[in-house]
Amino acid sequence: MSTNGVETTYFRRVSRWKLLLIILTVVLVLTIVLSLNVGFAQIPFSTILQILAKRIPFLGSLIGPSNISYPEERIILEIRMPRILAGALVGAALSAAGVVYQGIFKNPMADPYVLGVSAGAAVGASLAIVFGIGFTLFGVNTMPILAFAGSLVAVFIVYNISRVGSRVPVTTLLLSGIAVSIFLSAIVAILQVIAGKKLHAVVFWLMGGFSGVEWKDVWAILPLIFIGTVIIYFFARDLNILSLGEETAQNLGVDVEKVKKVLLIFGSLVTAAAVSISGLIGFIGLMIPHITRIMIGPDHRVLLPTSIIVGASFLVICDAVARVIVSPVELPVGVITALSGGPFFIYLLRKKKESYGV
Amino acid sequence: MAVLTVDSIDCYYGSVRVLENVCLSVEERDFVGVLGPNGSGKTTLLRSISRTLKPHRGVIFLNDVDIYALKSVEVAKQMAVVPQDNVIAFNFTALDIVLMGRNPHLSRFQMESEKDVAIARKTMELTNTWHLAKRPLNELSGGEKQRVIIARALAQEPKVLLLDEPTVHLDINNQLETMDLLKELCIKKGLIVLAVFHDFNLAARYCDSAILLNDGKIISMGNLDAVLTSENIRKVFQVDAVVKKHPITNSLYIIPISMLKPPLSRKLSVHLICGAGTGTTLMKILAEEGYNVTAGVLNVLDTDYETAQLLKIPVTSEAPFSPITEETYKVNLEMMSKASAVVITAVPFGYANLRNLEVAKEALERGIPTFVIEEVPIEQRDFTKGKAEKHLTELKSKGAIFVKNQNELLSLLDILEDKLNMTKELSSKIPGHFKSETNSCEVDEVDDSKSSNF
Repeated sequence: MSTNGVETTYFRRVSRWKLLLIILTVVLVLTIVLSLNVGFAQIPFSTILQILAKRIPFLGSLIGPSNISYPEERIILEIRMPRILAGALVGAALSAAGVVYQGIFKNPMADPYVLGVSAGAAVGASLAIVFGIGFTLFGVNTMPILAFAGSLVAVFIVYNISRVGSRVPVTTLLLSGIAVSIFLSAIVAILQVIAGKKLHAVVFWLMGGFSGVEWKDVWAILPLIFIGTVIIYFFARDLNILSLGEETAQNLGVDVEKVKKVLLIFGSLVTAAAVSISGLIGFIGLMIPHITRIMIGPDHRVLLPTSIIVGASFLVICDAVARVIVSPVELPVGVITALSGGPFFIYLLRKKKESYGV
Repeated sequence: MAVLTVDSIDCYYGSVRVLENVCLSVEERDFVGVLGPNGSGKTTLLRSISRTLKPHRGVIFLNDVDIYALKSVEVAKQMAVVPQDNVIAFNFTALDIVLMGRNPHLSRFQMESEKDVAIARKTMELTNTWHLAKRPLNELSGGEKQRVIIARALAQEPKVLLLDEPTVHLDINNQLETMDLLKELCIKKGLIVLAVFHDFNLAARYCDSAILLNDGKIISMGNLDAVLTSENIRKVFQVDAVVKKHPITNSLYIIPISMLKPPLSRKLSVHLICGAGTGTTLMKILAEEGYNVTAGVLNVLDTDYETAQLLKIPVTSEAPFSPITEETYKVNLEMMSKASAVVITAVPFGYANLRNLEVAKEALERGIPTFVIEEVPIEQRDFTKGKAEKHLTELKSKGAIFVKNQNELLSLLDILEDKLNMTKELSSKIPGHFKSETNSCEVDEVDDSKSSNF
């Protein structure tokens, strides 16, 4: 084989990555637009396109007064749109965090919830629901805020339990994450027992979903998730090198403890932001990184953006399915992701078994 | 000027001290071997030099700057490490891995340029791994993997290369190739190589100097001739070894002879009649088994003579290539008469050493059991026109025991030893009995005397 071919392939790979990202972004946009069409109220697709087009500068002025009714516009723009965008944001955040945690822990079972984010958020949300702590505070819904705070407190505790001086060994981190999660889950269980009539709301939150998401929720989490994922992306190459082991990474010039700290903070932040409005949606953060790694390889500089876009599209689709599959009742989206994720995970395990001949 | 200086460092794992007051300095073009037994602190020394394990006391300077005051990127530009085990979490290709060596030279937002890929290619060609560039690292063999990792380290373009047992997964061919490459880089580019070795001979062949560690302390440091001595090896490894200059490579080589064991307590002493290498292995086995071994007559420069010197076995010797004189014959007879058994190996007999058989005859006459090993029939090694053969037949008639090989001999010696012990035990017990009886008699007597006194 011509040796020059290796270099050419290497550099061609980068342009392939770019093309792939563009295609996936187009797919994401299409998914969002198409899923606007999904819902209890039947709204013709052409009407939806008109409603959207009206919102686009220049193009909007070309469309004259048409047959768009006010309720239809409201359903699309005020109910379906924020909810779909929230789904995309949450899918993106959980996938990004999944990539980060699998990279740091070098463990295929790691997901955004390993550090107790989920359990912390669950305690916060359950407290808000069960005790109805001023359901609105200064006109702001307190439940997402409590969930957000709960998850950050949990991660803070886990991080400090594992800290040895200035170092944070990943094994200890993983184990204390599990320990704290178990403890907090027990508190959630107690809250469920005393929840009484509010039990339904707690359970529904725990299964995760986007019903009732409004624009202000989207605006609240958008900057957190955007800034968080961008900062995470700055450390993509360090994540590659971390897969060689922390000591080797150190020898290759990576400031391991600092990088780990930054990644853990922002990984937790985007997860907490996502969980605060969506509840606990499982499997996305675990399986999207695996799928994309099979698709495009382990290089985090492409794995991370690809996972973000794929995760966003996937959750938008799952949410669309959740809205209509047993219509008029809406399923929690966490049920759909778990239903599709479980079998997928088994498939993944089987495939791995074959390829390693175990 | 010393590029790397380690100034009296102490390192701890928890409360266990693994390095104590280690000082060293390395200059450009130095190829230093770090040697020592398992757990002596070799890897720890590399870890603390590579800015991974901060010493509790002492400073490590790289070009006069304390490395723990530098950022890891700055250190990584000047120093690369080839660790012992390389487990990689994801399926990166060999080229990906080598390009990671360029990390310290890239800024956070930079992608690898053509220059970086060219450097990766060069180092991969040097380590003979370019053909593996597209293969996932985890699918490569241990040796291929090791060479890719060395390529990664070289891609860092370091001034100092630290290696932890770089040849442990490599076959002989790759060992030499890798070491030759390192040596070449050391000589041509002034690369400093500091490597942990378990293979003393490999280290001796390539290193200019060595550091011998034991129990976290430097036992010896400096030129190979000064470090690799049998005394040092005995002190550190409790192994008897011979250190010699190899006639072809002109480097030192070490042959471990045996573990230093507490000597077995055997009563039996064996006198060997051997020569021309026929007694070499037997001497070693007998000495290890704890027999008191003597040998003779042997000519100086004979292989068996040299072995005996090495094992510190008393020998009656004769001048090189000379027949046994009357005087040496007598000395040998004297030596033999103290032995409790005589063994004649399958040594060739000529007129020069024929008298050794007369000694054996003498032994039989004095009642010393005599064994003849007949691995090679006497006709094939008799250069005395049948005289030696005649002697042997005579020995046989006088009660010499003929054995086929060493193992048979050793089991017979065991039996002889047991017999000897039994008679000794008996003789030691019997007087004991008498003694206690006499004691009681005495007591009786005393009692009697007392009673008679009263």
